[in-house]
Amino acid sequence: MRRLEAEILVIGGGATGTGVAWDAALRGFRTVLVERRDLTHGTTGRYHGLLHSGARYVLKDPDSAVECSGENSILRRTHTHCIEDTGGFFVVTPEDEKDYPDRFAAACLRHGIPCEELSAAAALRREPLLNPGISRVFEVPDAAADSFLATHATAQAASQAGAQLLPYHELVGLQISGAEGSRAVTGATVVDAVSGEEVRIDADLVINAAGAWAGRVAALADIEVRMILGRGVMLATNTRLTNTVINRCKMPGDGDILVPIHTVSVIGTTDEQVNQPEDLRVEAWEVDLMLAEGDKLVPGLSRSRILRAWAGVRPLYQDNFSGESRDATRSTALLDHAKRDGIGGFLTITGGKWTTFRRMAESAVDAACAQLGVSRPCRTADTFVPGVEQGHYWLGHRLEEIEENRLQAELVCECELVTRSMLENAVRRNPTVTLDDLRRDVRLGMGPCQGGFCTYRAVGILHQMRAAGETGPQEPAAPPGAAEWEVDSLQSPARSENVAPARASAGPVQVPPGEAPQVSAAIDPQAAVSQPNLLLRDFLQERWKGVAPILWGQQLRQERLDELIYLSILNADHLPGQEEESPMSGFYRLNSED
Amino acid sequence: MLDLLVIGAGLTGLFAAYAAARAGLRVRVIAKGMGATHWHAGTIDLLGYLPGEQKPVADWVEAVPELPAAHPYRNLGVDAIRTAMVEFQRLVAGAGLPYESAAAGPWFAGVAGGSGEQDGRNSMLISPVGAPRPVYLAPAAQQPANLADTRPMVIVGLTGMPDFYPTLIAENLCRQGHRARGATVPLDKLTARRDNSPLQLARLFDEPAAQARLAEMVADVAAGERVGLPAVLGLHRHARTCAHLQEATGARAFFEIPTLPPSVPGLRLDTALRESLAGQGVRVETGMEACGFGTDGRRIEWVESETGSRPLRHSARNFLLATGGILGGGIHGDRCGRVREVVFDLPLTAPQARSQWLRPLFLDSRGHPVFQCGVAVDARCQPLDESGAPVYDNLWAAGAVLAHTDPIRERSREGIAIATGYAAAAAVARDVSPPPAADN
Repeated sequence: MRRLEAEILVIGGGATGTGVAWDAALRGFRTVLVERRDLTHGTTGRYHGLLHSGARYVLKDPDSAVECSGENSILRRTHTHCIEDTGGFFVVTPEDEKDYPDRFAAACLRHGIPCEELSAAAALRREPLLNPGISRVFEVPDAAADSFLATHATAQAASQAGAQLLPYHELVGLQISGAEGSRAVTGATVVDAVSGEEVRIDADLVINAAGAWAGRVAALADIEVRMILGRGVMLATNTRLTNTVINRCKMPGDGDILVPIHTVSVIGTTDEQVNQPEDLRVEAWEVDLMLAEGDKLVPGLSRSRILRAWAGVRPLYQDNFSGESRDATRSTALLDHAKRDGIGGFLTITGGKWTTFRRMAESAVDAACAQLGVSRPCRTADTFVPGVEQGHYWLGHRLEEIEENRLQAELVCECELVTRSMLENAVRRNPTVTLDDLRRDVRLGMGPCQGGFCTYRAVGILHQMRAAGETGPQEPAAPPGAAEWEVDSLQSPARSENVAPARASAGPVQVPPGEAPQVSAAIDPQAAVSQPNLLLRDFLQERWKGVAPILWGQQLRQERLDELIYLSILNADHLPGQEEESPMSGFYRLNSED
Repeated sequence: MLDLLVIGAGLTGLFAAYAAARAGLRVRVIAKGMGATHWHAGTIDLLGYLPGEQKPVADWVEAVPELPAAHPYRNLGVDAIRTAMVEFQRLVAGAGLPYESAAAGPWFAGVAGGSGEQDGRNSMLISPVGAPRPVYLAPAAQQPANLADTRPMVIVGLTGMPDFYPTLIAENLCRQGHRARGATVPLDKLTARRDNSPLQLARLFDEPAAQARLAEMVADVAAGERVGLPAVLGLHRHARTCAHLQEATGARAFFEIPTLPPSVPGLRLDTALRESLAGQGVRVETGMEACGFGTDGRRIEWVESETGSRPLRHSARNFLLATGGILGGGIHGDRCGRVREVVFDLPLTAPQARSQWLRPLFLDSRGHPVFQCGVAVDARCQPLDESGAPVYDNLWAAGAVLAHTDPIRERSREGIAIATGYAAAAAVARDVSPPPAADN
């Protein structure tokens, strides 16, 4: 059993947990973060990507709105490159109540949310596919955020500040010591999901940032935290229908947000109360509802090609709440279990929005300081994560870099413009277990063919890297000591080309003394998860899970082509090692019994 | 007046048109696009797996009777399939692209396990990930990949080619008990171009200088082993490229391994078919999507196609539907769960609701029900209505549009295309000019 020590142990590698680790490390705490899967695998990686201006909640939940508004301007500074400055419209469609818009505008003014009315004609000139029947339009500073990249960038910032982040480490127990009346959480036991090794982590304080799983984590300390789990379904279209975030100007409801994010538009969401954080089913009625509601924003949306459907589970919390999850507050909940349950050294931070993750982290670490009896100010609002110098994201950046640097022949994924060195860079510079982890890093397999062409290529490239690690000391599979979480070049074809070790000339990389070489399990010849056939099967099933709910028309045809490739040409269902399993295989098959 | 208008220019449509023309019929082909022949591996997969089974079919002649009774192969019978295959082999041999059973090809005579005579035996060739591919007929360049040959192999890739991973192939071959290793030769010694798609490389290897250089480099890395290369050995001058390699590498056997679409062996096959049709005087018109038709009672009078400027009517005595399944575009499934045959709106066997279309596991060996939907036909390949009678007196259907088969799961894609295409053409020929009028 390995042992680690920390002042602050963070449970959960979503936006909030990673933000807590960043904040705590910047305040000088020895910090460790554990996450049972890849960073952002939970709700963070399953949301639509809307950086709220606050306007959406301005009438329903003004506290949350004000929080969002403040954080919106901060994140634009601290995480600039993770944000596309799309702006947002609130549009009044013929179906929306007529008195809401004026109340909405007045409330925005009252709460300091920038909001400007423009004519419907002007809005239609900017977004010609919008419903021509809209009567009024308000512009607000909504934006589109890449929650994968932002969390990885936060992780890199945390790592640079000294935090240790351990993805694929699942919490199995909390250590509780002390006599009745002075009991406290003093650490945790986690299991390395790749190696199966147990790790014991002693900590002065544990912060539960497990999101939808927060109730389960608290239960390990015999504490009841009744999470309100609201499952939301989203669909991605194969092109961007608008370049501006579109909201319906009405009380928040189902299917009233359309977010342009990277190459697609995402329509969302539903809000179904569920009992389990992994109840990620996408029901047929939810797909139909999203399409019907989407048509009200962009007529014809329901006839566009849908690439994928997925669900995320909102981790909401409200004391003594007994309503529908749609009506539960989006505000942050910080539970000090010393006061609430008589167990010290343990905080739960939950609720909130992706937009407010930094603020949530701040409040959690403030409370940690108070409990640890120190006074250290929060620095995250004025600290830039690595990569901000790239400026705001814009859609053409990959294409521009590929054309300027003539990298067309290097493409591994033509849909999302992923080059070979982007893939190599991602697997070398941040812990990778499955191809799905690489998808979150570089958008591998997220385009119209949903992995049809790139799955095979990615497996081949990873296998080359793995084989090089076995036999070629001149070219280590991952440069030992290359810092984890070097993610500021992940999304950039040109920068990846430059940072990837030159294949022939790279000398041995210096390993800082005392630091173990960090190898991605996906290319570690010793790790069972690096079996190429397993990587292939896992990713094919992972992609299938998200296309199955929306397969019709051209996308159905696309999947038949993918069958042709993987069955007829590759015969991937008759490869050796059918029995191999990764830590994720079971999840990809979830809800698959028939 | 045309005797037969074929709709669709995949392997089914082109081969049926060829067979009908050989039988003396006046034939034309109209198609929306280029067909899907160049998406596949260029092999003739006749029957690789029985539905739901993991074990490959060793001999299709023995396996066909085990198929469900409604399967197109059961409908035709083994002899008809065999006849179609012989006709196909005659066509491609005439076009300079000979196909043979990889279990019986001349190269294999004398090798342990080679019977030297053609029967229904499948061979296991090598997939681009190193899995065995059950194949009946293969072009000459793919036959020596036969895994029954126990001599060691070296799989040779080209650096930077994104669609070929020799060490991955070799590792999977070794895991299955074969002797194989991977090696790479530098592509930049062959070309300054950086576009290294299979098609681009195939064009490169049409050039004698590149052929010679490749032969030298391959001879350097191969230590007396059989040599596996990506299927890029020439597009238009493939035979010459192979001869050159054979000569330069001595008697050493080398073979091609197919790659992701677009597939060079598929393109070669497509080209051979089109050239043979041109030789028969059959026109193949692409860019003509069938979009309407007119009837007189139970006869189809004409089919209308979209063209660049205006719809065009094609009259014929008979019509053959060879538009393919969901992949080829002959069948469309919509959001409401309706599947529709796109030209004649023929009755389809299909799952009732979209919720029944798919299985939860992508690689489920039973396949996904929606991909098994299609047009039910009688023994003469005529589409049937719900009562079991032909829908139209002069309409025929063949290939992936047919019901009761999932050609991709069964690895029967080309077998279904050739066998049913030929059978339909023969049935039309009998209808138009009763035997023994047809001569060869």
